[in-house]
Amino acid sequence: MNAPGSDTETTPAAAPMPAARTGAGWRRDVWPGIHWIQELGGHRAGIARAVLESGADWYTPGNELYVPQNAYLLTGERTLLWDTLSPASGHILLPALEELLGEQPLDYLALSHPDVPHAGNTMQVLRRYPDCQLVAPATGETHALYHLDDAMKVGPEDEIDLGGLRVRFPEATFLDAAIHTWMSEETTRTLFTVDWMGFPHQSGESLRRTDEIDTVVDVGRLEEFHSRVMFWFQYVHPHKVTAATDALAVQFAGYGLAPAHGLPIPGEDAAPYYERMNEVVRRVAAGGRGGVL
Amino acid sequence: MSVIDLGGGVSWVHESFPETKGHIHVSVYLVDAPEGAILMDSGSFHHRQRLADRIRDATAGRGIGAIILSHSDYPHSGNIPAFRRDWGDFEIIASCGDPDLQGLPYARRTKIGDVTDVLGRRFVVLDPPLADRNHTTWVYDEASRTLFVADGFGALHAPGASHVDWGRLPEEGRAEGVHEFHAQTLPWLRYADPDRVMGALHAMLERHPPAWIAPIHGPPIAERDVPRYMADLEAALTRIAERN
Repeated sequence: MNAPGSDTETTPAAAPMPAARTGAGWRRDVWPGIHWIQELGGHRAGIARAVLESGADWYTPGNELYVPQNAYLLTGERTLLWDTLSPASGHILLPALEELLGEQPLDYLALSHPDVPHAGNTMQVLRRYPDCQLVAPATGETHALYHLDDAMKVGPEDEIDLGGLRVRFPEATFLDAAIHTWMSEETTRTLFTVDWMGFPHQSGESLRRTDEIDTVVDVGRLEEFHSRVMFWFQYVHPHKVTAATDALAVQFAGYGLAPAHGLPIPGEDAAPYYERMNEVVRRVAAGGRGGVL
Repeated sequence: MSVIDLGGGVSWVHESFPETKGHIHVSVYLVDAPEGAILMDSGSFHHRQRLADRIRDATAGRGIGAIILSHSDYPHSGNIPAFRRDWGDFEIIASCGDPDLQGLPYARRTKIGDVTDVLGRRFVVLDPPLADRNHTTWVYDEASRTLFVADGFGALHAPGASHVDWGRLPEEGRAEGVHEFHAQTLPWLRYADPDRVMGALHAMLERHPPAWIAPIHGPPIAERDVPRYMADLEAALTRIAERN
């Protein structure tokens, strides 16, 4: 068994399936065995205005701008769903699951944290797949207040072997609430970073990885998201946050990044994003929060 | 006792949940308004029946006319559907950027900086320095000078002390309750600069001086006890920062 960062140098292969809006909703394969189901939400007009006022050149005026929710279905010999989208998108998630799984059961539903846009369809999924094992972060003390008291609790020491895929649950380095975990998949070397490393995208970029879009994901674009969601960056010692980010960059060197609110970033492209996030923290600490998401 | 009167038409409906190092409040507040009763947050489903019974009792059976929701975290928002079944489609006032994504498509959206009228009573919507979810707001009730602070200003308490305000908790262990709450509930404080957080809080208290600070996860703090709580909070934030 290999620790994160010490595994083989496997690079995630190109997606075998293009982005597609099917009758089952928004989904695609992003890396082998990792299927991506995306909820766009509505056009974020306020963020679009802020982006235009900032002079950013990645956004085309008139396009719709989205801050999505992502769920990921991992399919080996066994299957695991990571997060469930918001309650507004059960009609996207459940048909997508049925189409992707076919006759295969859903073995695990793992929640990054019991936040409504991440866990909003938990009960619907468990009703549809009653033999599915609910998996929840071990951190925190109030699981019973979230219906998570009977869930399988996981932390950094735990691994679930899906048969062809292996998931681990590293500590969530940047988090909002106590009950929270990140996840890694060790064969594709993918780190699921939940609320961290999110960013908005525009019309034409939905269900695309960062290597498949023509616009840049620069510091300003990352800042638009994190200055809202990680509002607390305004109260930090920036050097503490950047030290934690630098440690992640070493621990997960070469890992692709699969955020819950952005587009997946291939492993070979990921390194510069860590330094961009360090600049985001310095900017928010100096300039304050950008608003509310 | 059904609810505890804080004065000015504000009542504390306290509930607690046991944790390893103490009990944590998961409370709500009732506010009398000219056009009905306002509930501040909805509490946890864990306490649903007891909360419903006490609210019904405190409102002489009328129930609530509106909920002001600090944020859509389940221990704060989990009873909204049940209470709407009990008391009809009362108004929900919420701060989230996209109510649909938070499961609240019927909510009236407020935003930081608003001064909003709810059932004839005015509330100022504030940007919280201590919060978990990004869309959290605090509100200041101008009539009673009560500052409703959601996940801010919490404290664990010993079993049996769930009904007393923070200043009347036994002094032994009181400061530790403030530390334990913040260490476990707001994990981002490991990166925080205590001076920045405390500065933002002091500025808010100066601008909106509270007769009571009304947290969900701690006992209410009376005006006379605010300096002591702030001192304990600063010590707690410093300890958390120094440990990380």
